[in-house]
Amino acid sequence: MKNNSSFLTKNRGILIFFAVMLLAPFLIGLFEGSTPLMIWGNQGSLSKFIEGLGIEIFILALFALSFDLLFGITGLLSFGHAMFFAVAAYLTGIALKTLTMPFWGVVLLVLLAAIVQALLFSLVLPRVKGITFTLVSLGLASVFHIIVMSSDMINLTGADVGLQGVPVPAFISPVIERLRFYVIALTLLVVTYLFYRRFVASPTGRVCVAIRENEDRAKMLGYNTTIFKIVAMIISSLTASTAGMLHALYQPIISPAVADLAFTVTALLIVLIGGVGTLSGAIVGAFAFRLLDFSLRRFIGESASFITGAIYVIFVLFVPYGIVGTMRMRQLRTKQGWQQLLGMLKSKN
Amino acid sequence: MSNILEVKNIHSFINQFHILQDVDFVVPKGSITALLGRNGAGKTTTLKSILGLASVREGKVIFEGREVQGMPPFEIAALGIGFVPEHRAIFRDLSVEENLKIAERNKGDLDRKRTFIFDLFPDLKKFLNLRGTELSGGQQQMLAIARALVADNSLLLIDEPSEGLAPVIIEHMIDAIRQLSEQSTVVLVEQNFLVASKLAKYFVIIEEGKSVASGLMKDLEADKAMIHRYLGAA
Repeated sequence: MKNNSSFLTKNRGILIFFAVMLLAPFLIGLFEGSTPLMIWGNQGSLSKFIEGLGIEIFILALFALSFDLLFGITGLLSFGHAMFFAVAAYLTGIALKTLTMPFWGVVLLVLLAAIVQALLFSLVLPRVKGITFTLVSLGLASVFHIIVMSSDMINLTGADVGLQGVPVPAFISPVIERLRFYVIALTLLVVTYLFYRRFVASPTGRVCVAIRENEDRAKMLGYNTTIFKIVAMIISSLTASTAGMLHALYQPIISPAVADLAFTVTALLIVLIGGVGTLSGAIVGAFAFRLLDFSLRRFIGESASFITGAIYVIFVLFVPYGIVGTMRMRQLRTKQGWQQLLGMLKSKN
Repeated sequence: MSNILEVKNIHSFINQFHILQDVDFVVPKGSITALLGRNGAGKTTTLKSILGLASVREGKVIFEGREVQGMPPFEIAALGIGFVPEHRAIFRDLSVEENLKIAERNKGDLDRKRTFIFDLFPDLKKFLNLRGTELSGGQQQMLAIARALVADNSLLLIDEPSEGLAPVIIEHMIDAIRQLSEQSTVVLVEQNFLVASKLAKYFVIIEEGKSVASGLMKDLEADKAMIHRYLGAA
């Protein structure tokens, strides 16, 4: 029983988030006069719209979370991260549409492809470090981007138009069963986050942190650092692929933009906004990123991206450790301040 | 085998730079050997060459009768060499306990060594849950040394343990190193000749990437001319 309660207190934040997000569609439904029963039956346009926005944010958050494990925890800056996401998205689309595979077969195929890709990236890991790894990963991902965009592949990938008309199984169709899709995406995000936290606290995860801080030092202690980087790479690739699969099932078109460097930079941006290496920052950052983008577009229109850019510059200048990182530092400082104050009072007495 | 480590005429490179150009010395088992020399002479590179962190292109490094040059650093370390790098190289984002735990080579290493380590460095016991960044400079240095003691290392390479520490703390550090040398052989790089001479039984002088003199520390202490020539200050 004691274990149980410590799990609840340790993960209080994410569990509250889970509960709030589960309730959100029903609460929003009340504003437009839909009863919870109507929401349950996927009626009510406003709540359905909010669910859609939520799904997009959860997918982005999953993707950013996987990026944070590589970049924020293990210290590997990959510019090819979008490839994991895009391969999964395209594979899901092609397997369902062209190969007409059964759904669970597709899931298995995508996860298998994730591991193969992680191993492909791992081939270069022992040989290249730092910025060289970043560029090699960019090269690998660019090859995939070019293949997807090439007109020879138009029958499979739809080339620059994107892959359309993927038949999504009815039981998770985002059109008919949007609430279910929303809950599935949310659950996957929360479960992945809990797993990541557990992983980072584990001995293997601690070695990953040590590698980020100073790889040579970790080697001096007798660790084969390459193995640990490969483990992080595989976990990260599996997560990004899960996000890519959800994306393919949710969006009516799989655009080649998800294979582009810009999409990796989106993950980087989200992690920077939320706080590098904090994990929860990926979720907070995804909300901030998507909601800011959405509201600016809605109220200002197409010129919004200019303002978005300016906001990010200002943000990085004033909140350099991200939302979660800065908050944690404040808490630490407040704690230290109180301790100093108490120490002074004690020494006076 | 009386020599735990033999460094035979090694030439080492860091990137394209030919740093060590013929370094040759032996480390007798169960003693403290000090590597001395001016800044930039190649003392730290010598330690790194032993561990495989600098690439040894020529010559041999023999540890406990086994040639280790060319092996990856993590394998060399696993043979039983502990390294305490300069600049208090601890993991700043890990807690004191995690810093120690990560050095375990076999499960339970830390539990076996706990009493020994905390007798040497009582401060660490008080701050087990603090992060690396929250320790003072002296405490960080002690943690770096303690980390090398967690696994069973028969040889410890310690780089500049007294650098930037207050005299009181240096005294404590000297005591600790002397105590731990009863369990493993120590190779020490030290700028502070006073510290080195208090601790070491043997010395090796490195000058511009070459080993130029070696022998008993007590002979060196008597030879003021040599100290002046190679180390500048007396």
